[in-house]
Amino acid sequence: MSQGLYACVHASEFPSQALLRLRPDLQSLPVAVLEGRAPLEQVCSMNRNARQLGAATGMTRLEAEALASQSGGLRLLPRSLEGEAAARAVLLECAASFSPRIEEGSKDADRDASAGTACALVLDIAGTERLFGPPRALAERLRNALKSAGFRASIAVSANFHAARMMAAASRGITVIPSGEEAQALANLSVALLAIPDSHAETLGIWGIRTLGELAALPEVDLIARLGQAASTWRKLAMGAHAHAFQPIEAAFSLREFCEFETPVEQMDSLLFVGARMIDSLALRAATHAMSLALVTVDLELEGKQAHRLMVRPALPSVDRKFLLKLLQLEIAAKPPPAAVLSLALSAEAGQSSKVQLGLFAPQTPEPSRLDVTIARLKAIAGEDRVGSPMLEDTHRAGSFRMANFTAANPPDEEHEGQPRMALRRLRPPLAVRVALNAGQPALFHDGSQSYKVATSFGPWRSSGCWWSMDGWDSDEWDVLAESQGAPVACVLVMDRGKHEWRLEAFYD
Amino acid sequence: MSARSATALRLEIEHALERSFPAALTPAQRTLRETASTGIAEVDALLEGGLPVGAISEINGPESSGRTTLVLSFLAQRTAVGQVCAWVDADDAFDPESAAANGVNLRQLLWVRCRKAGGPVQSKQAAKPWTRLDQALRATDLLLQAGGFAAIVLDLGDTAAEYTRRIPLATWFRFRQAADRARTSLVVLAQAGAAQASPAQSSNAQSGAALALQCAVVSPVIAGGTVLRGFHYEVRNERQRFTPFAVGRKKPPASVWPAASAWDASGDFADVETSAAGEVLEMEQSA
Repeated sequence: MSQGLYACVHASEFPSQALLRLRPDLQSLPVAVLEGRAPLEQVCSMNRNARQLGAATGMTRLEAEALASQSGGLRLLPRSLEGEAAARAVLLECAASFSPRIEEGSKDADRDASAGTACALVLDIAGTERLFGPPRALAERLRNALKSAGFRASIAVSANFHAARMMAAASRGITVIPSGEEAQALANLSVALLAIPDSHAETLGIWGIRTLGELAALPEVDLIARLGQAASTWRKLAMGAHAHAFQPIEAAFSLREFCEFETPVEQMDSLLFVGARMIDSLALRAATHAMSLALVTVDLELEGKQAHRLMVRPALPSVDRKFLLKLLQLEIAAKPPPAAVLSLALSAEAGQSSKVQLGLFAPQTPEPSRLDVTIARLKAIAGEDRVGSPMLEDTHRAGSFRMANFTAANPPDEEHEGQPRMALRRLRPPLAVRVALNAGQPALFHDGSQSYKVATSFGPWRSSGCWWSMDGWDSDEWDVLAESQGAPVACVLVMDRGKHEWRLEAFYD
Repeated sequence: MSARSATALRLEIEHALERSFPAALTPAQRTLRETASTGIAEVDALLEGGLPVGAISEINGPESSGRTTLVLSFLAQRTAVGQVCAWVDADDAFDPESAAANGVNLRQLLWVRCRKAGGPVQSKQAAKPWTRLDQALRATDLLLQAGGFAAIVLDLGDTAAEYTRRIPLATWFRFRQAADRARTSLVVLAQAGAAQASPAQSSNAQSGAALALQCAVVSPVIAGGTVLRGFHYEVRNERQRFTPFAVGRKKPPASVWPAASAWDASGDFADVETSAAGEVLEMEQSA
């Protein structure tokens, strides 16, 4: 049986990392994250700059604000559990591209002060040497992948699960523990890394046991006699010899990003600045699965507990960041949020990559991605419901149609060989006219600006329908040849029998 | 040997007259332009192929002059072979039923309906014709830049000429360049010459349009009928910048074509068609 090999990824200060990952504008500033109910909030996480300023975990809001006023520049952000969940999913997905077997590494270390705000994952990397090279090379590639996803993490590789986990939590950068040298590697680490109950930890403190090496040097039988059977486990952990049954987690593939703003955002540019990072991340994650983004749903939480939802649906699934960002920009411009934005969530549906087989003799059609952007821009100019393909409705009502989404990839119909037929140009809305009748036929009508003398009229053609609903119609239609200012015109006059109104509906042209 | 002598002689004469008449005996090279059929044999005969591809065609005329029918027939031909077209409707006058009756594949047609009152921003300005015209021009610009459309119809048919003539000349030149690059037939449907160089110019000498047609109705109705039918329209070719190369051949400047009614069956239409409809009128070309 081959020996196992584990790599532990430990992202410390995860609440601040999750918040700053999508906010590059804040990454160079000192930032502290507060959790708890107001006014009893406490600092739970911070970045390196904030730590250098003197911020510490457990500070109250008042203390943090006092520090901010003294030093200047310290930003206080509220903790976002939803954002952390989204960031953890990204971290997990990034790790999953190196090994399918991953176990949560931070659950056993709940009592550790730093572990509560850290995210640790342990990867089973046994057998990946031919794919990624030696353990150090894999660790470096993993660290670079995490860095590009916006995370800073320490990585430790060991043949023992717990040794890798504890070493990653206690060290920075990359540490590779050679097989069989776990005890020496862990010797200098603090016993606080072991989840020892407070009473026993105090006892160890009285004995002067500070490091794992000192604990491992104690005789096992005497230790069990004084501290109980659990002491055997602690000693094995300290020696890097405790066996572990690996329990891989099944990570569901979901494309979701979340960002909560510390202050309500009104500017679209600020929104798009964050949205661009989110789309970047979503596109990258989809691409690692050889997929594209077919639908991006944008959920905006607005001031006053309002919600605003936007949908970006490219004609073909795409991972083109610029293209998706343009669509998002046009969508937000077309449907701007009615209030300031508190949080932004992007969730995407993955689709097959946008590969289109073109034909050498196929007619030229607009490029789908450019067409999407063009239609979105046209909708911004003319209106959401005023751009598309007209579709005739199954009704006898004259001039009825609906607008459908325009797609260029439609199979051509059979070639039209019929003769041209007189087309209508409709007046929308129809023009109210005053009509003078002669023997029941229109003889003269006036549209408010000019008079038309009727030369010949054909009709009436009676039409009615939908009498059972509010949008029913009942009208007499006349095809009229008239003359206005010496020019002949052919038009359609309609008499609404319900309202007894005459309307000029269309011109033959 | 004699051919060589003739060539040498021609070169000698041209060389002698070079200062006064450059290339005096060599016919000027003319640009051959690709054309697309309008689907109306009489109009195609007049235009020697159809409307130009990659250029602006201007179809002018008053109401009931058959200009919309002509353009729909053209679009029917384009969409029938799988190409996509766009209709930029400045006045929201397009009738999908008429388009379908003329054979236009509506799924292949992108219809942009400019707002009559109010755009995304509701204002008093939005209701003015110029605002709608501005929307139409911006939409046309976007479609031309997107490329891939076989034909784009800029429908200014109900917009008064006083507004269409205010469209800057630079806009038409930009459209012309974009249409040429995208190999798109840009058809401008207007009441009067919109793509002309300036309002003061009655001729199309400096026009952005490669082709300008003037439409008019010839015979409005057949006397004694019970339904409206039997329309004949006249198309006059007022300007054609890029004609196919044909030495010593005069093209007719105008022709008459018939249009059936929507309620005419295909067989009935043969009765309506008169001998006068198909014939090409030999008329003097206007200045």
